Amino acid sequence: MSDAPSIPVTTRRARFAAWLRRDHRYVLLGTSAVALAGMWFSSQPRPALSFLAHAFTVEVVMYYVLVAWLALSAVALVFKLMHWTTYGQVAPFVKPGTRRALRLGSYVIWALAIVLFVDRAVMGFASAWAAAAASSGMPQDDMLTQILYMFQQGYATYLQGILTTIELAVFGTAIAFVLAMLLVFVRIQRIDRPDNDFVRFWKKVGVGFAKVYSTVVRGTPMLVQGVIIYYAGFGLFSGSGMSVSEINAVWSRFIAGLVVISLNSTAYMMEVLRGGIESVDKGQMEAARSLGLSQWQAMVKVVFPQGIRYAIPGLSNELVINIKDSSVLSVIGVFDLAFAASTIAGIYYKQLNAYLVIAVFYLIMTATASWLLGKLAKRLDAKTEPVLGVSNQMKAGGEK
Amino acid sequence: MADEKNVGAAAADAANPQEAVVRVEGLQKSFGTNVVLRGINLTVMPGQVVTIIGASGSGKSTLLRCINLLETPDAGHVWFHGKDLAAEHVDINALREKIGMVFQSFNLFNNMNVLDNCTLAPVTLKKMTKEQAEKVALANLDSVGLADFAGADVNTLSGGQKQRVAIARALCMKPDLMLFDEPTSALDPEISGEVLEVMRRLASQGMTMVVVTHEMAFARSVSDEVVFMDKGVIAEKGSPEKIFTNPEKPRTREFLARYL
Repeated sequence: MSDAPSIPVTTRRARFAAWLRRDHRYVLLGTSAVALAGMWFSSQPRPALSFLAHAFTVEVVMYYVLVAWLALSAVALVFKLMHWTTYGQVAPFVKPGTRRALRLGSYVIWALAIVLFVDRAVMGFASAWAAAAASSGMPQDDMLTQILYMFQQGYATYLQGILTTIELAVFGTAIAFVLAMLLVFVRIQRIDRPDNDFVRFWKKVGVGFAKVYSTVVRGTPMLVQGVIIYYAGFGLFSGSGMSVSEINAVWSRFIAGLVVISLNSTAYMMEVLRGGIESVDKGQMEAARSLGLSQWQAMVKVVFPQGIRYAIPGLSNELVINIKDSSVLSVIGVFDLAFAASTIAGIYYKQLNAYLVIAVFYLIMTATASWLLGKLAKRLDAKTEPVLGVSNQMKAGGEK
Repeated sequence: MADEKNVGAAAADAANPQEAVVRVEGLQKSFGTNVVLRGINLTVMPGQVVTIIGASGSGKSTLLRCINLLETPDAGHVWFHGKDLAAEHVDINALREKIGMVFQSFNLFNNMNVLDNCTLAPVTLKKMTKEQAEKVALANLDSVGLADFAGADVNTLSGGQKQRVAIARALCMKPDLMLFDEPTSALDPEISGEVLEVMRRLASQGMTMVVVTHEMAFARSVSDEVVFMDKGVIAEKGSPEKIFTNPEKPRTREFLARYL
């Protein structure tokens, strides 16, 4: 647990870059891979929107510049193989002027490769998009156009799915956090000497309840919980004499899904919080008690504020997990992103295409959530003092 | 054990049991199958400094922790100002307010600065307003020489400073009794001095203290009574002169020989 990684990472990277730059051979070696990639793009069929299609000669010249660069690299490589030990003295490539020329040349190679990438890949995507937009039925040509066609047609459906998924994950995690805070206080109760029998009884009941809740919720799949809670709730309402449309108004699939994800996440978050609280040094509680503070006062003022800091990474992870796991709620018909995908897949009979799209959406959402939570955690850590160095950021923050 | 002072204390005790600050009677404690205390009797009079010495594992820390009930005794009584702490349903929190404790590992609250460490208990337990508590805290920090560190984060302090803050924190509750659980064992000898100096001054001001320590020089010069514990019993107790110069029991002699 040293703060070493934060500084040496940059220096290690700087050292790596310097090592690459010191020797022109690595410039040749690296950029020949780039040149090869450019040549590969050039060999691909031109998409409809390709701009190099109108400048055929220019592309031919570009192609042969790349070939020339590869040839030059090959010469340098052969030279090195022939003069393995004396390369540094005899090679014409090591002269300062030649080195500078090679460096400038490498920039040109990069530029050419990027132009070819844009022409084929980016414009290819744009062409497929335009073709999908122009198509009146399911396009029969390539998969990308089909995917984009389905995306364009099902745009509103996907969007609604994304919004529902975000709502479920964000509100579900927030509600679960509040519930987990309450439940963890119940869970960590210990019988204390001043307690009377009434208090002792309820503490035992509370701890038992929290344990059973945690075991049951974490020991069953959320899919199963979803079905049970939704239909049990439905049954309860209809038992009270409400009509189906009345029930749907209060016990909608979304509300049921939100309840399921909240109750499920509560159990996991409670365990994360409990872990955080239990990793606080026992002496903190003892010192507080020795001053006359009650168990509750010591917990609220001393132990919990330290414990929650340990729990922050685990708690933020819950949001990311909920973004993904809310997908199982589509089983009770919650209109989330997974439900949107199955709807669209059902229309076009193209499962793979529909789910590839939502894979990208889920990835974007989870990556964004992780990034935001990482920033938030850093901020929370930086404000606090180092608590036995749980993370590197924390330590660096404390030393300032 | 036939020391005069002890006999006198016991006699006074019998006449007026209220007079003793702490009276431990037949205290027993075990952790699982490991019997740690096998019937301890100990009386601490107001203003007395009692030092408990003995080898590691002899039960001295457990005895100290039983006095403010951080450990629950299996049998026996701990009378504090005439109230039995070991009785079931006793309001231990109220009694602990009057018993300060200083730990080997300091246990300062890591989520607060030095001043907040000192004011937390007085303010939370509504003994003082925030302003009063800060005033008292600053006076106590000043007495341990750390008034300038009131705003400091506790994690930036040295071990000796931490322990002095811990003492000041305990004093803010205006305790009748101070318990010290090896307060200098986590400190190097050079830094122990500053903590021992604070304790010495506290003793000279008439604070009733029970100190578990391995600092024999301190035990000898400051204590009114030295208690030598061995295997869960009080093997010998008496004045520092008697224990350190003329111990009766061979075990006491054997233990002290390692420190001389």
